[in-house]
Amino acid sequence: MSKKKGLLKSFFSCITYKEKKHKKKFYIPEIDNEDATEDNNGQDKDTRIMKRGSLKNRRIKRPVPVSESNKENKPEYKKADDEKISTNIEENIKYIEDKFNFPINKDIVIRELTVAKKYKAFIAYMDGMVDRITINNFILRALMVNDEKFDEESNDKCKLDFILSNILQTNQAKKVDNPDEFMYEILSGNTLLYVDGCDFYISNETKGFDKRGVDKPLIEGVVLGSQEAFNENLRTNVTLIRKLIKNNNLTTEFIKVGNVNKQLCAVMSINGITNPAIVEEVKRRIKGIKSDMVLGDGLLEQFIEDNPYSIVPTVLSTERPDRAASHILEGKVAILVEGAPFAKIVPVTLPSLIHSPEDSYMRWPYGTLIRLIRFAAAFIATLLPGIYVAITSFHQEMIPTELLIAIAKAKENVPFPTIVEVILMELSFELIREAGIRIPGIIGNTLGIIGALILGQAAVQANIVSPVLIIIVSVTGLGNFALPNYSLALAARVSRFCFILLGTLLGFYGISIGIALFAILVTNIKSFGVPFFAPIAPKTKESSDLFFKKPAWQQIYRPDYLNTLKQKRQAKISRQWTEEEPKYSYERDEEDD
Amino acid sequence: MIKEGKFGTAEAVYLITLAIASKTFYTSIRVMIKKTGTAAWYMTLMSCLVSIIFFLLISLVMKRFPGKNLVEIFEIVTGRFFGKILALMFSAYYVYYAGSSLREFLEMIKAYNLPYTPPSLIIFAFMTVVVILAYIGLEGIARMATVSFYPIFIGLAIILFLAFPYYNVRAIFPIGGYGITETLKSGFFRSSAYDEVIILAFIINSINGVKTFKKVGVYSIVISGVALIFTCLCVIMAFDYTMASENVSDLFQLARIIYFSRFFQRIESIFLFIWIIASLIAVGLAFYVSISIFCKAFKISNHRPLILQFAFLTYMVSLLPEGLIELAKKNIVVMREYSMILIYGIPILVLFISVIFGKKGDRQCLKSVK
Repeated sequence: MSKKKGLLKSFFSCITYKEKKHKKKFYIPEIDNEDATEDNNGQDKDTRIMKRGSLKNRRIKRPVPVSESNKENKPEYKKADDEKISTNIEENIKYIEDKFNFPINKDIVIRELTVAKKYKAFIAYMDGMVDRITINNFILRALMVNDEKFDEESNDKCKLDFILSNILQTNQAKKVDNPDEFMYEILSGNTLLYVDGCDFYISNETKGFDKRGVDKPLIEGVVLGSQEAFNENLRTNVTLIRKLIKNNNLTTEFIKVGNVNKQLCAVMSINGITNPAIVEEVKRRIKGIKSDMVLGDGLLEQFIEDNPYSIVPTVLSTERPDRAASHILEGKVAILVEGAPFAKIVPVTLPSLIHSPEDSYMRWPYGTLIRLIRFAAAFIATLLPGIYVAITSFHQEMIPTELLIAIAKAKENVPFPTIVEVILMELSFELIREAGIRIPGIIGNTLGIIGALILGQAAVQANIVSPVLIIIVSVTGLGNFALPNYSLALAARVSRFCFILLGTLLGFYGISIGIALFAILVTNIKSFGVPFFAPIAPKTKESSDLFFKKPAWQQIYRPDYLNTLKQKRQAKISRQWTEEEPKYSYERDEEDD
Repeated sequence: MIKEGKFGTAEAVYLITLAIASKTFYTSIRVMIKKTGTAAWYMTLMSCLVSIIFFLLISLVMKRFPGKNLVEIFEIVTGRFFGKILALMFSAYYVYYAGSSLREFLEMIKAYNLPYTPPSLIIFAFMTVVVILAYIGLEGIARMATVSFYPIFIGLAIILFLAFPYYNVRAIFPIGGYGITETLKSGFFRSSAYDEVIILAFIINSINGVKTFKKVGVYSIVISGVALIFTCLCVIMAFDYTMASENVSDLFQLARIIYFSRFFQRIESIFLFIWIIASLIAVGLAFYVSISIFCKAFKISNHRPLILQFAFLTYMVSLLPEGLIELAKKNIVVMREYSMILIYGIPILVLFISVIFGKKGDRQCLKSVK
C-alpha cells in the first residue's frame, strides 16, 4: 500500500501547484557613494575589503556602503593615522596590521624584537618579496647582537638615527616618515624597521623576489649583434641599458602609475641630447593616467599614445637592450615598466618600425638590401591577396597570357568565387597562426601537420581552393613574418582584410582608394609630436638611415625631426685615421706599400 | 581665421605639381594634339611660359600685401562687398573644377576599367576619400602629396620609358603643326592648364611668405610643364598626331601597348594606381580650397562643418554633363582653356586697381608676417 501511496503522491505532485522554496542567493553589495570614498586618501580607497555582514545584517534593507562599514570596524587610534606616524610601537603595529588586513592576509610579517635588550622594536616585510638572508644576517643579527655599541654615548634623540648610522648593515637604508611611502616600501620588497619612541621608519633594501634571468631575445632574434633581452625586473632592465650607455647624463626617472597596483615606470633619456620637451611630455602623460590598473607596458602604451584609434602603432616596443640604447642615443625616450620585458620607445616614425636592430650591425650593402626586402614584405603582407582578388575578378587582361591560363586551369574545378576562396584560406591561416601561439609546446608539431596537410594539400585535392591561392597566402604569410615589429605586422594583417574587401568590390580602383585612405590616415598621425611619416612627409633634413642605409661613418646627424639638443652624433670625418699619417715604430721601405 | 597648418617648400611644390600634372592622365593631351597637331609639345611649353609670366605678375600682388592671402587682398582692394563676391567666384570655380574633374575621372574609369560597376559606387568611394582629405585639412593633403609624388612621377617615367620601342621620331614632323598662329593662340589659352598654381595665393599663410610663394609657383609650373611636354612628345611619337588625337586617354593607351615579352606586357596596373591617387589629390585639393576660400571670405574659423554641403555641391556639378562628349566640350574646355581669364585675370585686375589707387599692405600686414 505504502508503495501505491507514494506513487499517487508523486503523480499528484506533478499536477499540483507548489510554492517555490526560498533559496538564499548570493549578491554583491552595491557601493552607492563613491564620491564620499574618493575623499579618503591613501591605500584605503584603493584596496577596500568588503566585509560580509552576519545574518543579522541581512535585515538591513539598504546595503551598507563598504567604506562606511570599514569605518565602523576600524580600531580607533590615538595618534597613528594616515598623516602621521605614532611614537608608540603598539599603535604602529596595529596600524600596519590594519592596513595590510593582517589576520586575514598572511603575507605581511611583523617581527617584534628587542634591540640590545633595551629598546622595543619591530621589523615588517612582505613574505616572499624579501631576501631572508639579508634580513637575518644584516638586520636582525646586527640589531640583536651589537650590545656594546649601544653602551657607547650617543647624542641621538631617537635610537633609530643611531641604528641607521651605526648598526644596520644593509646597503641601502633610508628614513621614511610618510605612511604612503612606507607602505610602498613594504610592498616593493623592502623591510621596515621601527624602534619605540621614534616618529619615522627605516626602510632597508632587501628585495629578493624571484625573477627570470637575462635570456636570449624571443621575438627580435638576430643573427649578428647582442643576444641579450630584457626580463621582467625593472632594475635589471635599467641596468642592461646602463651597461651599454656608460654616460653620466643617462637619466632614469621613476614614476608610479595605477591607483591599485602602483606600477613603477622608468623613463630613460640622455640629459643634454634628448629634447627636454619630449621627456616632459612623456612624464606628463604617464603622471596623467588616472586608472586603477596599468598592468604592464601594453596598457601603458594605450594610455599614453597620441592616436588610440590609429591602425598602426605609434610607440615602438623592443625587447632588446641594444636597440633601446641606440634609440636613447639618437635622442628618444625609453619607457620601461615593471613586470614587462619590453622597452617602449617614443617618439617613433614608420620607417623606424620597419628597421630591424640587425640593420645597424651590418655593412651598408647588406643592410640596405635586407631593408628593401622588408619594405617589399610590408607591401606583400598588406596588398597581395587584395591584388589577387582584384586581378582575377576585374582585370584579367593584365595577367600575362600563360599565367592567366595557369590560373584559370587551377581554378577550373573550384566551385567558389575567388573571394570565398581567399577569405577561407586567409581565415584558416589566421587560425593556424593564432593556434600556433596558444598551443602547448609539446603538441606544436601536430599543428604543422594540420597546416601543411589539411590546408595545403587536402584543400587543393578536394577542389576547395586553387593551388595558386595557396602560394599567394603562403607568400603573404611570409611577408607578414618578415616585418620586424609585431604590432606593425598586426596592422598589416588587419588592413589586408580591408584591401581584400576593396579589391572584391572595386578592383584596382578600390585598392588604390584604400592605399590613398591608408596613406592619409598614416601620414596624419603623430607620435609624441613627431609626424609619423617624418623624414618623408613632412620632409626633414636628409636622413642617412631611411630606405638606403649609408655606411655608419657617414651617418653624421641624429634624426632631424627629434630636434635634439646635439644634432651631430659624430665628427664630419669620423674616421680620423684616414686623414692622419700612420706612425710606424719600425723602418719601412717605399716598396712595402 | 581658419587654421591650415604649415608646410615646407618641398611639400608645397609636390602638392601644386601633382594638382597640375594630374591632367596628363586625362583627355588634355588628346585635346592639345587635336588643336595643334605635331606642335602640341612645344605649344605646352609656351603655355608654361605664359603661366609663369602671369604667376609672376600675381606674385607682385602678394608682395604688395605681405602676410595676406588673396581673399583678404580682394577685400582690402575692392572693398568688403566686391571682395567677397570675387572670393565666392573663386570658391564656385573650384567646386566646378572638383566636380568636373570627378566626372572626367568617372567617365574614364568606366570606359577603361570598371564598365559594369555602378557609377554611384565609384563616385561614393572617391568622394569618401576626398571628404576625409578635406576633413584632415591642407597639411594632410600636402603630406599625402609628398608621399605619393615620387611613386606617381616614377610610374609616369616608367610608362614613358617602357614604350620606347614604339617611338618614331619622324612622327613629330612636320614640326610646325597647324601653323604658328594656331599654336600661339592655343599656347596662350592653354596656360589655363597651369592655373592651379593660383591656389598658392589662397594658402600663402601656410607656406613661408612671398619668396617661397614665388619659388614654389615657378618650380611647380616648370616640373609639371616638363611632365606634360614629355608625355605629349612621347604620345605623338608613339601614335602619330592623327591617332593620338582620337584616344580618350593617350597615356592609358601608351601603358596598354607596352610589350616586352609575352610575360611583360599591359602594365596598365601601374597607370591605374598612380592615376587614381593623383586624381584624388587634385580633386581633394580643389575641393578643400573651395571650402577654404568660402571660410576665409566669411571669416569662418572651422571648415569642417561645411564639408558635407560642399561635397553635395561637388556631386551635383559632377552630374551636370550628360556624358563624356558634353563634359569634354563644355566643362573641360572651360577649365583648361578659358579659366585663365578668371583665374589670372581677376588678381591682375586687382593688382592694377591697387596700383592705381595706391593701396598697399600696411604695417599691420608686415607685423602679421613677423
